[in-house]
Amino acid sequence: MKNTLKVERAILNLTQDELAQKMGVSRQTINSIETNRYVPSTLLALKLSKIFGKQVNEFFSLEEGD
Amino acid sequence: MSKESFCKAEERRLHYLLNFKLPNYYKKIGLAIILISFLFLIAFKFIEGEPEWVRSILQKAMLVGLLVITISREKIEDELVQSLRSKAFSIAFILGVLYVLIQPLVNYGVGILIEPNDTNFEDLGDFQVLWFLLVVYLTAFWSLKRKNS
Repeated sequence: MKNTLKVERAILNLTQDELAQKMGVSRQTINSIETNRYVPSTLLALKLSKIFGKQVNEFFSLEEGD
Repeated sequence: MSKESFCKAEERRLHYLLNFKLPNYYKKIGLAIILISFLFLIAFKFIEGEPEWVRSILQKAMLVGLLVITISREKIEDELVQSLRSKAFSIAFILGVLYVLIQPLVNYGVGILIEPNDTNFEDLGDFQVLWFLLVVYLTAFWSLKRKNS
């Protein structure tokens, strides 16, 4: 699964730390999601959706083989 | 108590048990317990006629220290940390089983090489197994955490 979290974060001019604080997770979690090392739960995905004001599938998408 | 509320109480208890964690500062307490018991274990090595029960208590104290670190919260205990914990537990469990199966054979083999006439096959003791499991868990957890930072 790939994502455009970094882009969305840049649009809102948020640092990883600021986004992490808004979501109640660690900066490492945001970094791991951005670098595709960790796939977040539905709960986190929905929290991101709320912060970015977009549908989940606008910034998360399946890759070939998923 | 109705069947439904009984099930809910059971579920609540299980949830509490699965999510039970000590506060973050307990990590330091756990580390202190390990260091103190380790130092005492070393010190007792030099004392003649050291009673066996002292050694056993110090070993158990070390296990308690490791367990305290294992069940202490991270500063931010989020779902990534939970996922890393699960991975570290599976690694520790698999390596633990392999260790229990293979290590006695290795000990036996080395024993035969050193003293061919006086070697017995012995299983590992509970301290050795638990110590290995906890140390592997903590090592795996820390290395996974470092990879994700």
